[in-house]
Amino acid sequence: MENLKKTKLDKKMDIIKKKEEAGLLVNKSQNRALRRFLNNRLAVIGLIIFTIILLATIFAPIICKYSPQRIDMLNRLLPPSSEHIFGTDKIGRDVFARILYGGRVSIFVGVGSALGAAIIGVLIGSYAGYKGGLIDKIFMRISEIMMSFPQIVLVLLIVSIVGQSLWNLIVIFILTGWGSIYRMTRAKILSIREEEYVLALKAFGLNDIIICYKHMLPNALGPVLINITLSTAMFILQEAALSFLGLGVPLNISTWGNILNVAQDISVLRENWWIWLPTGSVISIFVLSVNFIGDGLRDSLDPTQQG
Amino acid sequence: MNNIIITIDNLKVYFYTNQRCNKAVNGVSFKIKKGRTLCLVGESGCGKSTIALSIMRLLPELSRIEEGKIIYHSDEGDIRIDQLKKNGKKMRSIRGSNIAMIFQDPMIALNPVYTIGFQIIENIRYHTNMTKKEAKQKATELLKDMEIPLPEQRINEYPHQYSGGMRQRAMIAMAMSCNPKVLIADEPTTALDVTVQAQIFELMKKLKEERETSIILITHDMGVVAELADDVIVMYMGNIVESGTLEEIFKSPAHPYTKALLKSIPVLGRGKNQKIEPIRGRTPDPFKRPKGCQFNPRCDYCTDKCFKMPDDFEITDTHSVRCWHYKKVLENE
Amino acid sequence: MISYTIRRILVLIPTLLIITFLVFLGLELTPGDAVSYMVSPDALANISQESLEQLRDSLGLNDPFIVRYFKWIREVLKGDFGYSLSSGVPISEIVFDRLPATLELSIAALLISTFLGSILGIVSALKKGSVVDNILTFFGMIGVSIPQFFFGLVAILIFSLRLGWLPVGGRLLPGHKAFLDTLPYLVLPSLVLGLTMTAGVMRYARGSMLDALNKEYVRTARSKGLPEWRVKLIHGLRVALSPIIVLIGFRLPMLIGGSVVIEQIFQWPGIGREFVAAVRFQNTPLVMMIALLFVLAMLISSILIDLFIAMLDPRIRLE
Repeated sequence: MENLKKTKLDKKMDIIKKKEEAGLLVNKSQNRALRRFLNNRLAVIGLIIFTIILLATIFAPIICKYSPQRIDMLNRLLPPSSEHIFGTDKIGRDVFARILYGGRVSIFVGVGSALGAAIIGVLIGSYAGYKGGLIDKIFMRISEIMMSFPQIVLVLLIVSIVGQSLWNLIVIFILTGWGSIYRMTRAKILSIREEEYVLALKAFGLNDIIICYKHMLPNALGPVLINITLSTAMFILQEAALSFLGLGVPLNISTWGNILNVAQDISVLRENWWIWLPTGSVISIFVLSVNFIGDGLRDSLDPTQQG
Repeated sequence: MNNIIITIDNLKVYFYTNQRCNKAVNGVSFKIKKGRTLCLVGESGCGKSTIALSIMRLLPELSRIEEGKIIYHSDEGDIRIDQLKKNGKKMRSIRGSNIAMIFQDPMIALNPVYTIGFQIIENIRYHTNMTKKEAKQKATELLKDMEIPLPEQRINEYPHQYSGGMRQRAMIAMAMSCNPKVLIADEPTTALDVTVQAQIFELMKKLKEERETSIILITHDMGVVAELADDVIVMYMGNIVESGTLEEIFKSPAHPYTKALLKSIPVLGRGKNQKIEPIRGRTPDPFKRPKGCQFNPRCDYCTDKCFKMPDDFEITDTHSVRCWHYKKVLENE
Repeated sequence: MISYTIRRILVLIPTLLIITFLVFLGLELTPGDAVSYMVSPDALANISQESLEQLRDSLGLNDPFIVRYFKWIREVLKGDFGYSLSSGVPISEIVFDRLPATLELSIAALLISTFLGSILGIVSALKKGSVVDNILTFFGMIGVSIPQFFFGLVAILIFSLRLGWLPVGGRLLPGHKAFLDTLPYLVLPSLVLGLTMTAGVMRYARGSMLDALNKEYVRTARSKGLPEWRVKLIHGLRVALSPIIVLIGFRLPMLIGGSVVIEQIFQWPGIGREFVAAVRFQNTPLVMMIALLFVLAMLISSILIDLFIAMLDPRIRLE
């Protein structure tokens, strides 16, 4: 069995050798990362699915003729049909419409929180890491404390104090999420800090802030991008779980998690599968696509990967 | 034929990383003589480490031996190493016991979670029938031979508890534990201080004399070559450009690259006013190679003929060179 | 080793102090009179105004903030966590009543995810590029993308409602105490929690193992002519174990968080479900104390993990 496998790898190598000798590969060095990413089938599939779902939520009014808030008590709990692709819920709202419009909020919460956490984490991480000293110690201690709480516990804790709202949730997500990006940026900056070009810039008398943000930061951005992608996935899942429990986004705004809230009722679970099963599947597929993209980014930006 | 331990014949090794084909070693032939130190010298990327890894069959996954022969002239007859199964029983019995290798940075080449003793004993017990006790004793003796103080205590310590020089000695001890016929040393002192370097060299000279081990020493440092070599092979971009004894290479270099290398290093004793000339130009991108002789863009003797790869010319029966204009090079000093 | 342990514990103390301080702050923010959760409601039932004032004084409620903080710490260390706002039951009672159930679920899920995840991840790495690796990696991706609660709902739909193999929720029927009786109830929640965590563990273990296999000393081991199994397991795996164990430490917050949601779906009578209920009803004292407990659990386990790693890695141990 081992010999057979060797020939497969051998054949691939032979093909590459022929191409190289024919001079076909000469211009392929440009932008290795992009090329590697596009070569990764899963990453590309992820990108496509992500874009489809995103566009679907944005163009919801064109795709679906129902308003997600339109209550129609005469048509409640209808199973899927040509009129309502995913049927209707307990008060007659079109489930498909709710999924599309709800997607807007869920994706907004996910991406928004990830970006917000990243911005704060990067700003603080790079400056604190670069300067060191007291500022650094304080922020390290703060992030350490926040990371001693399981995230969902911390989120619920703050929700119980400040109450539920869409913006509250995003702010809470950012507050609980900046820690990991902060640490990562800080670690990267620390490793770059001692490198010669930074010392040279300092010797030229360049302002600290400019050194930090204009020269050092771009080198740390790769991992940050990956982190944003994966954080988006995490936040979407968290929002879904919280809203499912009724403790996330308030129920009057539909989000993917909120739609699933009714599944807590066993009878809905058993009898009205069309309300919760498609919604959960959409969440899963969307998060899966984001994870594919994140993995693809990670593989293509990693300098040690041999490909 | 009796004094040759390994023959390399037209070896070609290609790398296939990042979906490209890199012809790292492109037709290399030489012989390793018993009991002598051969230095493979050249810039980073010239292929010298690759040859070493090919002999040991330790090439990374995305590379292979394309063509050529690696013949190990063992006591039981000639063995075609290139045709053995990479991790098969035969190859593994050769590796570590007949042909051994030490690597550049002992800090990362030694496993941090096992004691030095464990790692040496492992090698001994896998190639011989010694009991644990006997092996431990042998390992302690080895550490003593390598001039590591307090070997009975040191044998139970971990790599990070050793100093840099001691670690390299420990790695040499591990490699020599089964008395190999050939020791391959890949830049063994690059990661060490200069004073420690000198000690390691002394150790290697001693090994060669006492045990008649052939040493293949890979380096980019001509100073190291001057110190340790019996024979020298100069490599550039995957080809051997010149090979000969130490005297021949240093006293009468026949290839422009060798000459330029010698001119580019400071020599102890020549005083502070000696001329050091860096080699003009840069090492070409392995994917955008010049046509013919790989050195021609940087060569002072370059003519149109050089766009065809030069043949190998024999100056004496130990000294050969791959250059059309070697006669001119020899005349010019 | 012992000095390392002590040092680790000492480092935690400032963090612990700050956290307890924050928790106390949170308690102070509880609307209403602090007496309502510091004293059993029975005692408050028919109390007169002056006695109330006396009570408040004796409880030190008119003392400055810092003094009350330390008094509160003392009470907590004695085991008095105050009273739940909604039910009037002592919080310590609620907590210790529910603890076994949560522990049961958590430990079961931890065992499943640790063993399954590590083994599958390592196998995946050893057979990199093979069909097995690709399938496992794909399932791993799915596992980290499906919302845990959704997976739970689907599991209930299939195994409890449609197939009827397992009970829908709850832990024990009244009157049954034996562990074997709990088992059918434990299966679904622990598998759901365990399997979703397995996916993450598996991906990480695979990465960690691949990293270890790429290290120089693995090549050195091979250069000694050792057989591949020895090279990969004794030299590669042994070093890959440390990161995998660290990973378990990082899984702990997920375990706690996961149990919060899973207990809700399966109506598992554990601390997580109490926590959710407390948040819903803004029962701040209960919320705070349970949160404090979660944090404590995490800090303790992080120490344990560090100790375990020190045992495995002589570089840390012998500092």
